[in-house]
Amino acid sequence: MSEEERKAETTAPQAPSAASAANRAAGAGESGAKAEAKPAAAKAQAAKAAPPDPRVEAAKAVAEQIKQVLVREFGEAAVEETGVAHRTPMVRVRKQDWPKAVEFLRTHPDWKLNYAECMAGTDYPDYIEIVLYVQSTELGHFVCLKTRTDRDPAEVPSLVASHPGLNWEEREIYDLLGVRFTGHPDLRRIMMWEGFKGHPLRKDYREWD
Amino acid sequence: MWDWQNASPLTGLNFVAMVVGAVVVLAIGLGVVTYTIYAERKVIGWMQGRIGPNRVGPFGLLQSIADIVKLLIKEDVVPERADRVLFLLAPVIAFIPSFMVLAVIPFSARHPFTANLAVGALYYIALSAITIHGVMLGGWASNNKYALIGGMRSAAQMLSYEVPLGLSLVGVILMAGSLNLNDIVEAQARSGWWYIVPQFLGFCVFLVAATAELNRTPFDLPEAESELVAGYHVEYTGFRFAFFMLTEYLYLFAMGGLMATLFLGGWTGPWLPGWLWFAIKVFAFIFFQFWLRATMPRIRVDQLMSFSWKVLLPLALLNLVVTAVLKAFLS
Amino acid sequence: MAQTEETLERLGVPADKLEHHRLRLDDDPDVRTEEMLLNVGPQHPSTHGVFRLLVKIRGETILDAEPVIGYLHRGTEKLAEDLQYTQIIPYTDRLDYLAAMLNNYALCHTVEEALGLEIPERAEYLRVIVMELQRIASHLLFIGTYLLDLGAMSPFLYVFQERERIVQMFNKICGARLTYNYMRIGGVKWDAPPGWLDEVRAFVPFMKERIKMYDDLITGNEIFLNRTRGIGQYDTETALKYGLSGINLRCTGFAWDLRRKKPYSIYDRFEFDIPVGTRGDCFDRYYLHLLEMQQSLRIVEQALDQIPDSGPVLGKVPKLIRVPKGEYYSGIEGARGELGFYIVSDGKDKPYRLKIRKPSFVNLQLLPELLRGQNIANLIAILGAVDIVLGEVDA
Repeated sequence: MSEEERKAETTAPQAPSAASAANRAAGAGESGAKAEAKPAAAKAQAAKAAPPDPRVEAAKAVAEQIKQVLVREFGEAAVEETGVAHRTPMVRVRKQDWPKAVEFLRTHPDWKLNYAECMAGTDYPDYIEIVLYVQSTELGHFVCLKTRTDRDPAEVPSLVASHPGLNWEEREIYDLLGVRFTGHPDLRRIMMWEGFKGHPLRKDYREWD
Repeated sequence: MWDWQNASPLTGLNFVAMVVGAVVVLAIGLGVVTYTIYAERKVIGWMQGRIGPNRVGPFGLLQSIADIVKLLIKEDVVPERADRVLFLLAPVIAFIPSFMVLAVIPFSARHPFTANLAVGALYYIALSAITIHGVMLGGWASNNKYALIGGMRSAAQMLSYEVPLGLSLVGVILMAGSLNLNDIVEAQARSGWWYIVPQFLGFCVFLVAATAELNRTPFDLPEAESELVAGYHVEYTGFRFAFFMLTEYLYLFAMGGLMATLFLGGWTGPWLPGWLWFAIKVFAFIFFQFWLRATMPRIRVDQLMSFSWKVLLPLALLNLVVTAVLKAFLS
Repeated sequence: MAQTEETLERLGVPADKLEHHRLRLDDDPDVRTEEMLLNVGPQHPSTHGVFRLLVKIRGETILDAEPVIGYLHRGTEKLAEDLQYTQIIPYTDRLDYLAAMLNNYALCHTVEEALGLEIPERAEYLRVIVMELQRIASHLLFIGTYLLDLGAMSPFLYVFQERERIVQMFNKICGARLTYNYMRIGGVKWDAPPGWLDEVRAFVPFMKERIKMYDDLITGNEIFLNRTRGIGQYDTETALKYGLSGINLRCTGFAWDLRRKKPYSIYDRFEFDIPVGTRGDCFDRYYLHLLEMQQSLRIVEQALDQIPDSGPVLGKVPKLIRVPKGEYYSGIEGARGELGFYIVSDGKDKPYRLKIRKPSFVNLQLLPELLRGQNIANLIAILGAVDIVLGEVDA
């Protein structure tokens, strides 16, 4: 999929069939990543029917701003996608630029995203996604940063250099999802024992194989 | 038969009396320990808003006895990698001196079981120092890191507190002019005041150093359960463990006796019989130790050492010098 | 010498601290000392559960400490993928089992945010009351266990008296004393039984009195001060870098409380302060627990005044809760720090992925950093003040 198509999809949020206000807000939080299956045209039509949530619109604007900052620094290819993760601005960064981009945003005077709140990995059918929710304690920004890696081999550069607090989170993701964090100082299993086979949080994990 | 202390040469009958005396003192000691443990659990229980033992016997009075029986019938486990001989010997080395020091404690004015030793105070200090070997060996022979650290801490602590403890006694000895504990009690009766008044500084040093010697809160580092699990006796079970416990509580009793003798006038006191006065004074000390245990957190090991050498020792020396100077001037 | 350096390098002692260790280790060339590995835990009275700390010591100095966790790992996140949202709630009880109400709420809150549900007023107030009571109960237990770690045994038994009253109240409102399963998506399961709110009202002055008592008994104790003042100190920058939250962050003087910074539920209706420390040491962490209990009592008092007399306690929620496709994260101020749930939904009644942001887990990471170069006697004091619950660390 080209860059333009992807952008078009994410900027046109999918509206759910149920017209309740609750679902509207939530549906707008669609990252677009999982919406690929449905035809884009149907979605665009649905989006017209439902007035957009102002909070979602604001988040989207913020995500665009971050994209511009990152693009200026790392080039057009660094940012793969922008959007919202349920009212939180979401920016998906290319894997190679992941630690640099996070460190850049941590020290950037306009963003200062210095406080990593939550890091998670999710196993999707075609890729593994690493999510990082970062907060600026000074400026109040709260942003969702993402990156993607292939499932096999799953490899992402480590963030420990800029956020030492993510050390164990990355170990946990390595342990349970099998993502190798290159440059991690101490990448070992943390929850399971050494010698354990497999990565339990992967969707294709079977206990008795 | 009972005046064996002055008997010379020793006759067979006198010897029998000595043995009987030792057994009686041992029995008293064991009885006191049994009910000291019961009292500790009960008193601390009340202080903490609990009931304490109340199931075995009326008011739980047989609880300690049940515990002792349990310890007696437990398997005597020796860790495989332990130094077997020393491991088995250590509780004995620790226990024997604790029982021997009771020989010089004057329980009442006239009873035949107190060795009327001319160097009573010195004897107490000297013997109680032997216990350290048992504790240290026990910790070392267990081949357990916690036990080792506990044993080492214990040795360091007891050695450093022995010095101020010994020095705090010297003030009293200077005033009484005798090392004999019986003489010290009589000297207090003659002088008309207990030595706690003129020797108040010495008493304070004694009290702190005694608490540390006994490894009781806030100086219970050798057996700090939250740090060292149980300290030097972590590998001991059954009756060998009981020996260590017995040692500790016998020392508690003996130290109370020593304090009562040196500072509170021993068995002397109005109206009540001598042994009762003595018991009251000893249990005041023991109660004080319970109270501390329910109140205080534990001191840190480096602070413990510096407290002994930088605070207690100078105070004890000061007390000694002042006592000596005053005695020289007043007499 | 060379060997020492190698050892330190292998242990990962940072370069700026190398000099410090070298001085300590090699100050006496005649003494040959050996490193000793001390295994603190998993069976140890002061690790608050099955937590293992591998400590490398030379003499009394800690060269390195390596926390080993996972003994209590139950795979809550994996289990949740096969459970409907309501069914996950009892599993959250087992995370931080000392503050189960807060865990309940954190999950429900995230799902409610995702659904955009309206919560009935009375339910919101009931939630706030039980959450703040739970915070008090949890902080009480911290004070008790921390003092127990430091060798004082009485406070541990004292705090259980107040905690017992809270637990009894919880028992009355939801029928459980530890794992409550009280909250539901859209409200709470049970309304307060008659007289329950009065009981809470009576508890507030009693608790205030007790907090004053603890302050009198513990705070000024010379031995306690000596063991906690200046021990395990760190600054705000370190705390933020390591992602610390809760009291572990606030003790450095940084007022970060999610109840204020990102108000959830109805916390914007209450007046309360965010107590912060000044030095970031163990004493501050202890003292903040006392101060936070006072603030919690303030919130409970105000909530009792404002709570509507009657009304529904469970909002209109579909029988089968399907969270719309998307991803959601929201954190609340738990008893130990930021407690968050990250949910990825594919539109079904079960989460596609559920990730728990566990405050104890994150806070614990700083421990080796704090212990390195310390005297071994401070180990327990520092570990205790981090305030971990293993059920949460291992999830």
